[in-house]
Amino acid sequence: MAVQGWSDALKSSKKTALINDGKRKVHYLFTDGKEMAEEYDLKTDELNVRKWRLKSTLGAQSSWQVEVGEPLSSLAVSLDSDVIKESGCNPTFMRKDTKTCFQWRIRNLPYPKDVFSVVVEPSDRCVIIKTSNKKYYKKFSIPDLDRSELPLDSSALSFTHANNTLIVSYKKPKEILALEQELMKELKKLKGNTEGDVDCKTQ
Amino acid sequence: MASTKVPEVRDITRIERIGAHSHIRGLGLDDALEPRQVSQGMVGQLASRRAAGIILEMIKDGHIAGRAVLIAGQPGTGKTAIAMGIAQSLGPDTPFTALAGSEIFSLEMSKTEALSQAFRKAIGVRIKEETEIIEGEVVEIQIDRPATGTGAKVGKLTLKTTEMETIYDLGNKMIDSLSKEKVQAGDVITIDKATGKISKLGRSFTRARDYDAMGAQTQFVQCPEGELQKRKEVVHTVSLHEIDVINSRTQGFLALFSGDTGEIKSEVREQINAKVCEWREEGKAEIIPGVLFIDEVHMLDMECFSFLNRALESDLSPVLIMATNRGITRIRGTNYQSPHGIPIDLLDRLLIIATSPYTEKETRQILKIRCEEEDVELSEEAHTVLTRIGMETSLRYAIQLISTAGLVCRKRKGTEVQVEDIKRVYSLFLDEARSSQYMKEYQDSFLFNETQAAAMDTS
Repeated sequence: MAVQGWSDALKSSKKTALINDGKRKVHYLFTDGKEMAEEYDLKTDELNVRKWRLKSTLGAQSSWQVEVGEPLSSLAVSLDSDVIKESGCNPTFMRKDTKTCFQWRIRNLPYPKDVFSVVVEPSDRCVIIKTSNKKYYKKFSIPDLDRSELPLDSSALSFTHANNTLIVSYKKPKEILALEQELMKELKKLKGNTEGDVDCKTQ
Repeated sequence: MASTKVPEVRDITRIERIGAHSHIRGLGLDDALEPRQVSQGMVGQLASRRAAGIILEMIKDGHIAGRAVLIAGQPGTGKTAIAMGIAQSLGPDTPFTALAGSEIFSLEMSKTEALSQAFRKAIGVRIKEETEIIEGEVVEIQIDRPATGTGAKVGKLTLKTTEMETIYDLGNKMIDSLSKEKVQAGDVITIDKATGKISKLGRSFTRARDYDAMGAQTQFVQCPEGELQKRKEVVHTVSLHEIDVINSRTQGFLALFSGDTGEIKSEVREQINAKVCEWREEGKAEIIPGVLFIDEVHMLDMECFSFLNRALESDLSPVLIMATNRGITRIRGTNYQSPHGIPIDLLDRLLIIATSPYTEKETRQILKIRCEEEDVELSEEAHTVLTRIGMETSLRYAIQLISTAGLVCRKRKGTEVQVEDIKRVYSLFLDEARSSQYMKEYQDSFLFNETQAAAMDTS
């Protein structure tokens, strides 16, 4: 079963945990060289950050790719702003999950709600946000569902618009909920280092 | 007031400097590999150019690995020119690494490490990689120059597709390349996000109606669809050495204590060889064997020659071209004499191309080409005199006189270099023969002369 494949990969990965300023930080190193880092809130057990780092074809290490949470601060980018980057006044896209839903927030979208349409595209396995005034368009997949090879369901999708922010929610299917509970139990068993650094062996 | 001055806009196109071989644009061969007498900056040397043409075909085929060629001939007979000609005809996609024999003697690296790195720089791998590109139609470009004229420029670029619109902040480099490419509203462009490389695809169909001053070659394209940022597969060529360097960086905090390059472990190299072979079998990558050119090859010593012997046997080795101007001489690092200062066992593996001294007519032709390259006009008589100098002293000396005579001529506000200008610089600058003559005459009055004389007595 497909959900099984992903949970097996999680189990076989090398995990390092660390508890620091109210967050449980977990680092996964998978057998194929991929790295994943997650941050959970200690009180609510909500996922705050999940990011990935892969190796490029030539073997160089790329920078972290954020899947869930605030995009990495653009401070490093603005220092060498010799090339090109998105202006700050553009809409910003980020994912922020709740216990029961995958949720995406797009800030800086000052248009009325009836401009937006959000649809599921089952053939491409992605969700598309469109605007009738042709100002914003975004096509994104739900990596959690891709990893577990679960189908996309348009009835699980809903969206609201308030304070210049469009919020798109997708209700987590029960397979994902079960997997996340199991993973949480597993993570709590990990001996998290409460203080500062992970044990870093000096020579 | 200084602030009212309008700042000069600096030209961004780079000025090429003129090097010793910048007039060479190829080997000067026709389709049947027959050399033309004068072509692509090459003059005479017909047999060796023909031979180089055959080697070139072999390199382009790319099937044969580890062949070595030696170009041997007197100084100033166009050995380096032939190698440069090969490099130019290979084009930018085939790796061509040039180094001088003495470059490998470094304190940071062993000789064999320097040679292996040079070998691996000369092997290219064509591979697909994914990059992020931005593709869209330009809605508006806005560039603000600071009022003082100095300091960073700020710019904004608005791009759109059929579905969306985004504003981008531009850096200094980006502004320069946008103005260099003459990008304006209505153009459809792609930008490589990592490198900032811009390419124009054409003009948008929606702008087809504003018919103002447009060339016949203006292409109209559709406005792109969907998202502005896309991931696209691009094919590019990297050398094996670059892959080595990427993979040999120490990871983690240890990276702080080691330099960027230096010696690369042989385990890393083996891993990469295996990986590249795997890619090739899967059809993901293609190996492009290039050329390694070692000038002044007699500067290498015995250890390097035996390393070359071994390295040429690997199936991942490039075509090696060497050049030397030595006759029978001592092999460096031994007491043995050998032709060209190269051991016989290595010579046995080489194809040797010989270059011969230029005739008077050829010398004249080369000097003419150099005059054009250096933008100096020469009168007919001056040209004849210079050719004579070239024949009697050396071609290199005659070429040096071109630019100096050009300067003398410009100082007296002439437009064409006359015989007097040549005479003037000929008297100002000694050639090698006159200099040694002078030495023989005035040897006694030079410093440290006595010690040398004493040494001579004992021998």
